[in-house]
Amino acid sequence: MTRNIDVGLLFSTTGPYKLMGQASRAGALKAVDQVNADPTLDVTFSVVERDPGGDIDAYAPLCEEILKSSTARHVIGCTTSWSRKEVIPSLERMGGVLWYPTPYEGFEASDRVVYAHACPNQHLLPLLDHCFADYGKRLYLTGSNYIWGWEMNRIARDVSTRTGAEVLGERYVPIGSTDIARLVDEIAALKPDFVLNQLIGPSQYAFLDAIAELRARDPDFAGRRCPVLSCNMTEAEWPAIGASAEGVISAGPWFRGLTPALPGNEGREDFGSSFEAAAHASIMMLARLLAGNLDAESLSLTELLALPGAEAVGISTRTHHVTLPVAIAQVKNGVFVPVRTYAPTEGDPYLTQMHTNLVQPFLRAVI
Amino acid sequence: MRRRLRVPNLGGTRAVILHRPHATVTALKRQLQAVGLQVECHWPELPAAARGADYLFIDVDTAHDDQFPWEPGEAPLPTIALIGSEAPGRIEWLMNFGADAQILKPVGDNGVYSALLIARATFDAGIGLAGEIDNLRRRIGQRQTVVQAVALLAARGKTEDAAYEQLRGMAMAWRVSFEEAAARIVASTNEPRGPRTAGGCNLG
Repeated sequence: MTRNIDVGLLFSTTGPYKLMGQASRAGALKAVDQVNADPTLDVTFSVVERDPGGDIDAYAPLCEEILKSSTARHVIGCTTSWSRKEVIPSLERMGGVLWYPTPYEGFEASDRVVYAHACPNQHLLPLLDHCFADYGKRLYLTGSNYIWGWEMNRIARDVSTRTGAEVLGERYVPIGSTDIARLVDEIAALKPDFVLNQLIGPSQYAFLDAIAELRARDPDFAGRRCPVLSCNMTEAEWPAIGASAEGVISAGPWFRGLTPALPGNEGREDFGSSFEAAAHASIMMLARLLAGNLDAESLSLTELLALPGAEAVGISTRTHHVTLPVAIAQVKNGVFVPVRTYAPTEGDPYLTQMHTNLVQPFLRAVI
Repeated sequence: MRRRLRVPNLGGTRAVILHRPHATVTALKRQLQAVGLQVECHWPELPAAARGADYLFIDVDTAHDDQFPWEPGEAPLPTIALIGSEAPGRIEWLMNFGADAQILKPVGDNGVYSALLIARATFDAGIGLAGEIDNLRRRIGQRQTVVQAVALLAARGKTEDAAYEQLRGMAMAWRVSFEEAAARIVASTNEPRGPRTAGGCNLG
């Protein structure tokens, strides 16, 4: 008999990062439709949705509201690390699980969270590796003033020290601020080989516009010189960025046009971005774990992942991170053109494993 | 003093937990394995091989000195205290035994990674400080030798300040510490054959 199970959705479809929230939400709903239409699965999902509107203080209460007002124990949601950290205490108190389908900075392995998008060994490390080889070892770091920017740049600084690269400067911008003239002036003066950009939302859009102007007036920044890097730019934000996205080099598990998409997408590729794909994969993985296991929806995440056959879903029982392909792509004429792709890599949130060739050169340099 | 954290390479390092079988151990073990450590649990005896581990977690609620094959305050590895009861007697025991970081029980979903980093940094800083203190103690012990050496140099017609400067110059030329240079001068003067034997020094 088919069981109908409540699942929570907690994305901000309004507010400063609505484009990402909307993409994730679209992916999750696509998967819900797919599961509900699949007669081979003995589960269907009913969506219980709340929209925090980008307000950080709304996440925990709304997450609790989902868990209290329905039988949902699994919530797909959150775009920023800050909001994820806000809801974890609620999940602990109320026995919930968060499926977090967004790239993040690592150094977390909560018992209550599935990390369904890339962490630094799946985005930042391969991206730096590629750019050190292709562009040079003098880099500039910038980011929005919160944990994503701080931690990603700390890792970049660490890797730079270990590999003999030189960090020429590091500057942060308050979240939401578009006051980036000083930052761009500094980059224009220092002329780094590339800029690692961990800005988010309007700050990133303003920054890319200013860099595009700099390229137009300063030959040292013309053409393919001094590219801007990103570990979270996807097609989802292009409507806001426009032509200024040209030349950006981004790392992620998937870009439009690559085949296949994520393992959890089960062959489906009709997504606008990896945000959408990872949210779709989250719901599909959840459906695979629950299907055929009566009452599995009441199990804790640890118990759920210990069920027979759960391993095939691709979530590490040790870290709750997902094995994902790694792609590096550059925006050319308005599309991401893949520069390098790597085989699916296990998420290594604390950067302590040496299982990938990718990170080995960095780790060797430490010893 | 501003400290810059050096993140240790934790992959494959060994953590030993000395705690009776308990939910705390399960939660702790899960977090340590998520970080990438190998975990061993022991109770109630800590085997001698635990000395070779990289981190030790101890249960402050039940621990006593006899469980450890070293004297209080002399743990050979970074030690992290698991504190349940905050009874003053237990805290007193912990202060005497010494720990580099602590986690309050019940152990839930986090706290372990920061405890590992802080314990390692504190332990290493402790070793560095102990070395520095040894060094300073030795130098204080050699103060009398320095006074003697300056007096010997001054006896050849220099002011005390000039003798002191001369001694500093010798230490630099010989690439030894100030105290070592003083010791050489005192030793060479005490030798019956004259002053020209130690390190080729010339007191002239």
